[in-house]
Amino acid sequence: MNSPFALFKWQALFQDWTVFAEGFGVTLLTSILALSLSILLGCVFGVLGTAEGKAAKSTSRVYVEFIQNTPLMIQVFILYHGLPHLGIVLPVFPLGVLAVGVYHGAYIAEVVRAGIESIPKGQKEAAVSQGFTFWEAMYYIILPQAKKVIYPPLTNQAVNLIKNTSILAVVAGGDLLYHADSWSSNNLYYGPAYMITGVLYFLLCFPLAKFARQLELREVAKA
Amino acid sequence: MKIKKFTKVLSALTLASSLVLAGCASSTATKASGIQGIKERGVVKVGVKVDVPKFGYKDSKTGKIDGFEVDIARAMAKKILGDESKIEMQAVTAKTRGPLLDSGEVDLVIATFTITEERKKSYNFSQPYFKDGVGLLVKKSSGLKSFKDFNGKKVGVAQSATSKNALQEAAKKDSINVQFLEFSSYPEINTALNSGRVDAFSVDKAILFGYLDDSTEILPDSFAEQEYGVASKKGNDELAKIVDETVAEMIQSGDRDKLLAKWGIQ
Repeated sequence: MNSPFALFKWQALFQDWTVFAEGFGVTLLTSILALSLSILLGCVFGVLGTAEGKAAKSTSRVYVEFIQNTPLMIQVFILYHGLPHLGIVLPVFPLGVLAVGVYHGAYIAEVVRAGIESIPKGQKEAAVSQGFTFWEAMYYIILPQAKKVIYPPLTNQAVNLIKNTSILAVVAGGDLLYHADSWSSNNLYYGPAYMITGVLYFLLCFPLAKFARQLELREVAKA
Repeated sequence: MKIKKFTKVLSALTLASSLVLAGCASSTATKASGIQGIKERGVVKVGVKVDVPKFGYKDSKTGKIDGFEVDIARAMAKKILGDESKIEMQAVTAKTRGPLLDSGEVDLVIATFTITEERKKSYNFSQPYFKDGVGLLVKKSSGLKSFKDFNGKKVGVAQSATSKNALQEAAKKDSINVQFLEFSSYPEINTALNSGRVDAFSVDKAILFGYLDDSTEILPDSFAEQEYGVASKKGNDELAKIVDETVAEMIQSGDRDKLLAKWGIQ
């Protein structure tokens, strides 16, 4: 029987498991670093988006609108194929962290902004009247309250971020999908290859979604 | 409680994947395939390349796909249906040609498909209609003159191409260290060569000639001979036989050489 899922194709896959393990490692590391970057960018630009000053607000808007309204693929192509023509050659691993981190940073900025705006204005006014600076008020008063509004959509972003690291496959990024493509297109045992790859992504995303759900419940219980 | 939930999830997964598998199996079984299916349909569905000049290339002005391999496809249609115009072409890439054969979306793949032992386990291949070595396309300004200069260099290859294996062996022999980057299409590798992401573009020589321009050159090195065959689905042995006979006839009668000359392929 020669189905795409024939037994000997599975055997070949388990023999070459290190190929997938290597890709899984790159995807995991890219995800962790990109997520850290995106949360950092998201917090900074999210808070800027709610600031009083016009310059701060429009900086945040430009970032968010530009990134959200162009495909991630194009952004990756510009970084990968475009920048070298200007003499800047980023290695593909930091490039992936940067591209995916900046992309999801824009979405997280919106999540953070919406969270902050859900907190009544009086809270900040009260904090400022007590002598808090803008950033202190944010850090001690507003953000802790905004957290539970922010968590659920933030998780969505984190899960999407992990899946979106697969964009690196198109620029030979060495991630999980790249290795699955490479391995399976060589021997054409694509059935088991993509099945396992799907399962591996699931193993990364599902616990995260689960963990965040618990965090969210705990926040609700506290309130 | 937790364990119960886990088993639930697990059984759901198992069920889902078996449903998917069952779906695959039944869809391939119900579709009339092989010679009979083709005759009933009155047209041969062929997967060809659209990004390989001279072999299978889509002219962006006319929208027509043409090339050496397209002419072979026409010969197949003539043999099977008696009319060389009865072909339906579909663009394939290295990644899609296998799945398209498995699902029955195409009857034949004639798309610079290199025959390997591993691939013969999954598909039927005709005898080779073309042989070619793997070459290296580099920028003239790079100063690279032979494969021996490639220590620590990056070589762009196509996914699903056998050139990586060929070069890896050669690198071992010369005890140099070469890094491979795989892309899904030839134009992408060419872009990567232009932007300096890779130091060389390496695929079969005949394909490289299509990408040669004033700023690039093909090095004299040639690696492991690649043999292209016409692939069909395993199990359709009748179809595989006709295909193989047609290729044999084309070679014997000199028709294949005429086609090679027509397309200017060395």
